[in-house]
Amino acid sequence: MKLRVVEVAANLMVKNNALAAKLRARFAASGTLVVNVLSSPGSGKTTLLEESLTRLARRYSVGALVGDQATANDAERLARSGAPVRQITTGSECRLDADMIAKALAGWGQERFDVLFIENVGNLICPAEYDLGEDLRVVLLSVTEGEDKPLKYPLAFNTSQLALVTKIDIAEAVGYERAAAKAAIEAVHPGMDVLELSARTGAGLDAWMAVLEARLRAKAFVPAG
Amino acid sequence: MHEVTVALGLLEGIQTAAREQGIERVAAVNVRIGALSGIVRDALLFSWDVATVDTIAAGSELRIEEIPLIIFCEFCEGERAPLPGTGLVCPECATPSPRIVRGREMQLVSMEVPA
Repeated sequence: MKLRVVEVAANLMVKNNALAAKLRARFAASGTLVVNVLSSPGSGKTTLLEESLTRLARRYSVGALVGDQATANDAERLARSGAPVRQITTGSECRLDADMIAKALAGWGQERFDVLFIENVGNLICPAEYDLGEDLRVVLLSVTEGEDKPLKYPLAFNTSQLALVTKIDIAEAVGYERAAAKAAIEAVHPGMDVLELSARTGAGLDAWMAVLEARLRAKAFVPAG
Repeated sequence: MHEVTVALGLLEGIQTAAREQGIERVAAVNVRIGALSGIVRDALLFSWDVATVDTIAAGSELRIEEIPLIIFCEFCEGERAPLPGTGLVCPECATPSPRIVRGREMQLVSMEVPA
């Protein structure tokens, strides 16, 4: 069979990126700070968000969208903070995309938030590819995971603006090597901001809140539209 | 991990282009996949075979061109290929680089159709 070549030239991310740009414009108009949280399973994402929502809810309107492949457990835990929480069940999908965010917001009926957290599916590969229209992408690295994690998942750390080292209260017990972790982060994202914290003891949470509040102030001064 | 979604995205791109040009059958599809995309070659090939059943691309060959990771080293002022497992660090001068030049591709390049 004789064949001819037909050029198609399309980037698979074009559709998601266009949708994410729309979301970003919408969040700019409403003055909502959007934080996309990436991590491996079991790194303490839900515990950190539970604590963050509780603290922020004293002064701001906050909400969370929670991606999970199968269960509503994380959303139920976050709802204990009293903040509005909506679950996105992704099924076989290993990450959230901009379309899922747009649909979840449309079906939620919430007015506006000062801060919206998006808890991505626990996975450091796929979520790194998908822009959700966020202002701040945060990646978690717990002290139990191995200091070389950034080298194994360079894109997740390269595309995030801030790394949160979680469970710092047990760092000594698990032999966490701070210098090795720092070197691995620097190797994939030179100059990356890093905060150490423990959602359980509260260590480092004031600094984390300060980062969010500074971002929030900056966002509020951006003219709408 | 998201090979099925990627296969469906590729198929959608192919179907759209084929519709526009009145193409009824696709024999092969050429794509570029970057090293950082997290795509497993064999999983994508398998997903492609499953995704294209009963479509214009049924039984078509998916040709994957794998694009290696390339960074721009500001110290050497040139493009460099980091060694595996070292992150985004220049293999010659060990300077970390935040600039990824290639390796994030997920591109549909072309399709081959009966002449």
